[in-house]
Amino acid sequence: MNNPISAATLLTRELIARRRPGHSLEAPFYLSDSVLQADMEHIFGQHWIYVAVEPQVPEAGDYITVDFGKHSILIVRDDDMQIKAFHNVCRHRGSRLCATQQGVVGNIVCPYHQWTYDLAGKLIHAKHMGEDFDPRGLGLKPVHLRNLAGLIFICLAKNPPEDFALMDQEMTPYLAPHRLADCKVAAQVDLVEDCNWKLTMENNRECYHCVGNHPELTISLHEYGFGYQPDPQNAEGLQRFQEILEASHARWEAMGLPSAEIDTLDERITGFRTQRLPIDRSGQSQTLNAEVASKKLLGNLRDPALGGLSFWTQPNSWHHFMSDHVVSFSVLPISATKTLVRTTWCVHKDAVEGVDYSVENLTAVWNATNAQDRRLVEESQIGIGTGAYEPGPYSPFTEGLVEKFCNWYVRRLDALTR
Amino acid sequence: MPSPAHAPDFSAPASRPWSADQDETLRCVHVRQETHDVKTFVLAADGPRSFRYLPGQFITLELEVDGRRINRCYTLSSTPTRPDLVSITVKRVPGGMVSNWLHDHLRAGMALGVMGPSGAFSCFSCFSAPAQRYLFVSGGSGVTPLMSMTRALHDLGSDADIVFVHCARTPADLLFPEELSMMARNMAHLRLAMVCEHHTHGSNYAGHLGRLDLHRLAHIAPDFLQRDVYTCGPAPFMGAVRGMLAGAGFDMQRYREESFSFESLPAEIQPEIEHSSPENETGVTTYRIHLQKLAQEFTCRSDQTILQAAAAAGLRLPSSCSSGACGTCKTKKISGQVEIKHAGGIRQREIDQGWILPCCSRPQSDVALDR
Repeated sequence: MNNPISAATLLTRELIARRRPGHSLEAPFYLSDSVLQADMEHIFGQHWIYVAVEPQVPEAGDYITVDFGKHSILIVRDDDMQIKAFHNVCRHRGSRLCATQQGVVGNIVCPYHQWTYDLAGKLIHAKHMGEDFDPRGLGLKPVHLRNLAGLIFICLAKNPPEDFALMDQEMTPYLAPHRLADCKVAAQVDLVEDCNWKLTMENNRECYHCVGNHPELTISLHEYGFGYQPDPQNAEGLQRFQEILEASHARWEAMGLPSAEIDTLDERITGFRTQRLPIDRSGQSQTLNAEVASKKLLGNLRDPALGGLSFWTQPNSWHHFMSDHVVSFSVLPISATKTLVRTTWCVHKDAVEGVDYSVENLTAVWNATNAQDRRLVEESQIGIGTGAYEPGPYSPFTEGLVEKFCNWYVRRLDALTR
Repeated sequence: MPSPAHAPDFSAPASRPWSADQDETLRCVHVRQETHDVKTFVLAADGPRSFRYLPGQFITLELEVDGRRINRCYTLSSTPTRPDLVSITVKRVPGGMVSNWLHDHLRAGMALGVMGPSGAFSCFSCFSAPAQRYLFVSGGSGVTPLMSMTRALHDLGSDADIVFVHCARTPADLLFPEELSMMARNMAHLRLAMVCEHHTHGSNYAGHLGRLDLHRLAHIAPDFLQRDVYTCGPAPFMGAVRGMLAGAGFDMQRYREESFSFESLPAEIQPEIEHSSPENETGVTTYRIHLQKLAQEFTCRSDQTILQAAAAAGLRLPSSCSSGACGTCKTKKISGQVEIKHAGGIRQREIDQGWILPCCSRPQSDVALDR
């Protein structure tokens, strides 16, 4: 029997066919439960999803659980120090195995009837099941996992997209010098936004809104770093930024830090973009004074003024790697109109709180920026829901990456719902 | 509307200073039950009065107990920023003559002989340069002087950076938890950490469980080496804190401690005394296993697992695999030594923190478990 075509797929197909390039998506993409169902099945079900940083599971037996849509995924470090992912569901009668967001296990034990799995997912203990009971075939269901220089991606598909290897190959030289695996989590904040996950992502992909909304972020961010329409007033500023960018790239590349832009956002299944961007003032970090938030620099880095290496992935993450800390964002849908934004700040594992850094200073810029963004996307969600909304045009100068996000999204849905 | 027990004259001029050489009569105006065995006694002068003292100082009560004259020192738990009244906060100590008398007899309206404030255990003392950062460590009712200092800093609008660690036996023994939370809400740099040895059944306590060791302290205050430390609690408690800090290379010039009362020390924080029966000729020894919450005790041979011995004694502890794989029986060990042979159901770091699996643990001394 062929897979039946679901209502969600039919609706999505029609919406995809009507999409106007260069314009925002139609309202049902942000409001409809059917579209969210399609998003969960085809986008979050078939692509590499960024979920965690390696320092969240530093030792053997450490685990975290990641919930999105209806899924609950268990990520655990085994005794060989490898990180594994499983569906967080017992093979007996389906109970969720680990109920907390993080913890430590010896083996993985179901709280219901104590079925016990080792960290390879093998069922090793199940009482009262009789002589003929065969535990083989009742191991935990594995989930594909890749560790890209300390960033943990999972894929629920049976056959995950193979081009992750390209991203791995191209991004590792950019990320490796920051040695995320040798960091510790200094802070993690979960924010639930009352909006569709695509509004969160689209908002991340432009800085048109930054000057008017993000006074803290724009202390360290160069105004011209994310596209501007040239005019006589800003010609000099644009020119100066271009010079700073070229001089900085020459300096960083000479230090062995790849800096040039790579953009595959709407060209590949595992689309991404990266660029090392200069930071304003002292050029060091995304803080309220643009200076490093942690005195202990990452890895073997010696120069604090390394700008910010930004890394954006489809469909659900962005990251900024600085000389002193890494800040990482994972966007996970809860429902059509609720989205989790998980922000994680990492510093060198030997940095001491209160001596080398304070959490308040480390998190100030992005806590403020996240709160401002939350208001922006929630107001968008409300406006789109009024019925007066129709797709509007993107700026060719400042919203090119939003268009690439929508292009990627629509093309991937199209390919997978055919 | 009922009038307050003590009505000060707020228009009166400020009164004279208060000092140790001053002997006078104060009146108990209010008694508050803080926990099941701790009371606060609020004292006032009969005439208009504004009490000035250093937060952290103590006063001396002159009492007649069973026809005997007894003097006892108690740290003030009140703050001079609320100058009309002073208070002491007293734990009932089993066998303690004065604390029992105060708990059983001192009522609102009664007069007490009091000698004025003394002592230099104060972050406001002229001998202590103002510190950038403080670590306040209290055990039980040793919280009183630190409470006085924190209340004063709070009332003065200070933005002092304080890590306030309060240790107690159980969540029900924590002193002033609500007031501390309220002050932490008002003071951006006051951080609280409660550490209880045991859980209280039915409590929603979510703080630290166990004892304050160096690992836990470094977790609570990673920069503790940079802080000025003020410790108050029972003598063994302060001894342990002192030893722990000295061992971590702390600059002891910046360490201060104070005994909160001069009454006999509570027994429960004293080191446990181990009992064991002599070995018999087979090399097998029998030990006693004590289950603290269940208040049960049974014997266990050194060649037997604690789970087996519990079952033999008719006690059914949670368990499943009985082979150290599933961790269902995982239990916190309060004292004693065991030998563990597990099959992956427990992590070494959990063992290091005092957890054991009774299904695969054999005793090597008397053992007390948090069950």
